[in-house]
Amino acid sequence: MTQTLSRRRFVKLTAAATALFTAGGKAQLGYAPSLTYPAVKVANVSQVKTGQPVTFSYPDASSPAILVKLGKPAVGGVGPGRDIVAYSALCTHMGCPVQYEGGRFICRCHYSMFDPAKAGQTYQGLASSWLPQIPLRVDGKGDIYAVAVAGLIWGRVKNV
Amino acid sequence: MALIPRRDQLPIPPKNARVHNTVCQYCTAGCGYKVYVWPVGQQGGLKADQNAFGVDLSQPQPPLAGLSYTETMHAVTTGKDGRQYHVVIVPAKDSPYNRGNYSIRGGTNALTVWSLDRGTQDRLEYPLLRIGDQFQAITWQDALTLVAGVIKGIRDRDGNDDNITVKAYDHGGSGQGFEDNYGLGKFFFAALSVKHIAIHNRPAYNSEVWGSRERGVHELNYDYTDARLADTVVLWGANPFETATVFYAEHILPNIQGNTVAEKQEAFAKGEPAEPGYLIVVDPRKTSSYTVAETVAKDRVLLLRPNLGTDYILANAIARVVWERGYYDMAYLQARTDMGLFEEYKQKSLKLQVPYAEFMAQVERITGVPRAQIEKAADWIAKPKAGKFKRRTLTIYEKGIIWNMKNYDQVAAIVQLAVLTHNVGRPGTGCGRLGGHQEGYVRPKSPTPGSIYRGGPPVNVDKFLVEGKGKFYWVVATDPYLSTPNSQVFRKRIHERTQKLTRALGQGGEPGTIQERVRKILDVLYSDPDALFMVVQDIYMTETARDAHLILPAAGWGEANETSINCQGRLLRLYEKFMDPPGEAKPDWEIFKLVGLRLADLYRAEGKAQEAAKFEFGKNWKTDEDVFLAGAEEFKDNRVSEEDEATLEAENYKGVTYKFLKEVGQQGIRTPVRRDPKTGKLVGTVRRYTHKFGTPDGKFKWYGSDDWEGYPAEVAKYLEGEKAKQYPFWVTTGRAQTIWQTAYHDRHLPVKAAALPLPYVEIHPEDAKRLGLQSGDLVEVYNEEGNGTFMVYVTDAVKPGLIFLVMYHWRGTSNSLTSGYTDPKTTIPWYKGTRANLRKLAGSIPSVQQTASLLQQNKFD
Repeated sequence: MTQTLSRRRFVKLTAAATALFTAGGKAQLGYAPSLTYPAVKVANVSQVKTGQPVTFSYPDASSPAILVKLGKPAVGGVGPGRDIVAYSALCTHMGCPVQYEGGRFICRCHYSMFDPAKAGQTYQGLASSWLPQIPLRVDGKGDIYAVAVAGLIWGRVKNV
Repeated sequence: MALIPRRDQLPIPPKNARVHNTVCQYCTAGCGYKVYVWPVGQQGGLKADQNAFGVDLSQPQPPLAGLSYTETMHAVTTGKDGRQYHVVIVPAKDSPYNRGNYSIRGGTNALTVWSLDRGTQDRLEYPLLRIGDQFQAITWQDALTLVAGVIKGIRDRDGNDDNITVKAYDHGGSGQGFEDNYGLGKFFFAALSVKHIAIHNRPAYNSEVWGSRERGVHELNYDYTDARLADTVVLWGANPFETATVFYAEHILPNIQGNTVAEKQEAFAKGEPAEPGYLIVVDPRKTSSYTVAETVAKDRVLLLRPNLGTDYILANAIARVVWERGYYDMAYLQARTDMGLFEEYKQKSLKLQVPYAEFMAQVERITGVPRAQIEKAADWIAKPKAGKFKRRTLTIYEKGIIWNMKNYDQVAAIVQLAVLTHNVGRPGTGCGRLGGHQEGYVRPKSPTPGSIYRGGPPVNVDKFLVEGKGKFYWVVATDPYLSTPNSQVFRKRIHERTQKLTRALGQGGEPGTIQERVRKILDVLYSDPDALFMVVQDIYMTETARDAHLILPAAGWGEANETSINCQGRLLRLYEKFMDPPGEAKPDWEIFKLVGLRLADLYRAEGKAQEAAKFEFGKNWKTDEDVFLAGAEEFKDNRVSEEDEATLEAENYKGVTYKFLKEVGQQGIRTPVRRDPKTGKLVGTVRRYTHKFGTPDGKFKWYGSDDWEGYPAEVAKYLEGEKAKQYPFWVTTGRAQTIWQTAYHDRHLPVKAAALPLPYVEIHPEDAKRLGLQSGDLVEVYNEEGNGTFMVYVTDAVKPGLIFLVMYHWRGTSNSLTSGYTDPKTTIPWYKGTRANLRKLAGSIPSVQQTASLLQQNKFD
């Protein structure tokens, strides 16, 4: 299942998701992940350095995300230290970009702050929904893949 | 992963969804929200013309400008028709107050609706009767017979209502608007004549701001737009980033950032300087309201950290600097204030007879605040701007002041500083409460006239009950086991007293009929004077309800129409009903109406028609609006000119109807509402006291403060001898962003309960190091009043030697440790100061440490 996302496949997937997106019909009330997500290679375990965030887009080009190695175990953390996590980089409050600084995610629009070690919970500020966490998978070569989004990305009614 | 259930798609309201206007059920800010309701099984489309939002959802929303519809804004509820409905609650873009912004609390409004797939399914659905140590369902018919029967039995025996004691909300928001307050007031004050009533969280029936009202200044006098226009904002014992978050983020912070300069230029006089705002925070803690502003404008923020209880000394000292430096307008003072009383103020508060240097040295010693900071604060508050324009300062105070020791003197000192500097009644000024909840006060005349200077102080009903007095205790929409001061002592005694009745009722077998139960309850109450009958009326099984004999299920927010005002502009709006209450739950006003009618039946059966008539106050109340309109009759005639707005009650809404409120929608109307004498049209009041103060002669009434007398005996006992060593920490208490005003729901919501699984204690890094404590450790905090288990947060928010306890957590309330002291002038408690020690618990609770964030909440740089 895990595979690197080629540009062509990405376009195909986005098109498929858009088709699903516009289909309407009955509301899905299931918990995340309730959709089909692409697997996208983000980095290799050997390249990720503690406290140095890696930016990427997931599950599509208009959804910025950040991967970071925290240096201490985290909820949902992968890698040898269970400390590599990734999150949507759009604040769940009103959609401004969040930055990874000083061991936490902070949004400079209204000062919401999210704990990357505790499932992206809002530990201070205005955001009522926690930051969406991006589940990661590591293959035998140490490649880290984003495989889903647990939580709704701000500004969407459906992640894909 | 994820700790809590997450969503990655949400249903879209179809075009034919019902759309309602409402206002958040929680804090003082009163942000506007839109509610969309439609049957499960239907869904709208992505195009703007296919959904009820009228928004194109096929593309991601633009940041800030777009629609915020997040995971916490959707729920499914069940209607009385047995069908399931989607409920979507999003921040209103057409609200002039929040303009689409929202907080961590309002953003969860949808999660709080009664829903069968989450914790809110625990809502009370029908009356519950205690039998021994269990509760069983009963009908409203039997519940009404029981309550009315016991009340009538007590009145028959006593010939008065002095044994009927009450603790009840007095406010708006949280599902209790003008309608519910009026129903309650008519029952307890007009039908009954209850004098042992306590309000909301506290031990007596009182205002928290008589120190301001008795000067002629109602506490809700400014408008949220004043926070955009002020040259300086003072936050005194108020932390709005966490407790009125949208007010801070949407109005105060943009001013400090300099984003409202153009608005100032428009509002100010010609040639008057208009610059980015300054912020002064007065608080023993380095609060997030300070540190956020420090991050954006460190040269325009000032933090004063007085010793606990000394704020009024500090306020008077700033006023003294104002006097020394001539930052006042004598013509204004002479025209608008009582200059006879001003002499008393000069002598007792400003202490002009004491040389300045000596006075300031005394103040430094008492407050711990350096003279230079006091003088700087005076400059920022009152030093005229270039061109001799008066500075515009908005002073906002809250629990750090009203729940300080010496409540009356604290509040009076702050409002007097504002009036001395003419910082009331002009755009960009004002001096008032931040507020906690919204307001919706309309009642018949209450038994408590005012402070000790106005016929008070009010009776301390907590002490009355703890001493074994009273026979009937009716608790309405408040949870005193958590919220009253010295609460551990209080709940132990109420438990003991209610148990006496429970045990006696069970002796010889439980009564078989309701009538027999009424008889036996009365027999026990009058044979064992310590026995107590308790009724709790609420939306959940609260800590207090667990000891009740009868529990009455109330309707909550959105389950009935209601009206309230917010506290930053007194904005009156209609909170529309958008769903049914669970089961047989009823609005509070209807419960009081029904109890009244049942009592009327009992009196009529005895031929006492006159007494019966008193209890029929609600016989014509068919709808929520009937109650709203009946309440309006309590207000003064509001056909007055703009100059006379000060003569009106702050909430006066005479002439307003639901129809009018539906027409104005989120725009609302600001109380006091006037009916223009010329046009007859309804006109709101943006800001108060521009022309007159609220006194018979329209002049501000000065007051001379008490001298510093040290700490009251209840706390002073910890400052001497052995106890000073045994209880080495000063304790203050307060709120946290995540669960402010919301904990009664939040304990049922994973998104909140997982984040704050236990109450916490803040401790300074130096103290933590000395005691070997780390964030996440568990400690017992204790003193002679009580104790609790708290999770440690190491933070520089507190100074060494001071700890901070979060209030009202369901796993342990800080009020277990607070003393029984109340201000002798007002009977308002000191919730925010005592002494204690702490002890690390052996072992840990790993699941708590796994879910709770330990990151520092006041660090934004």
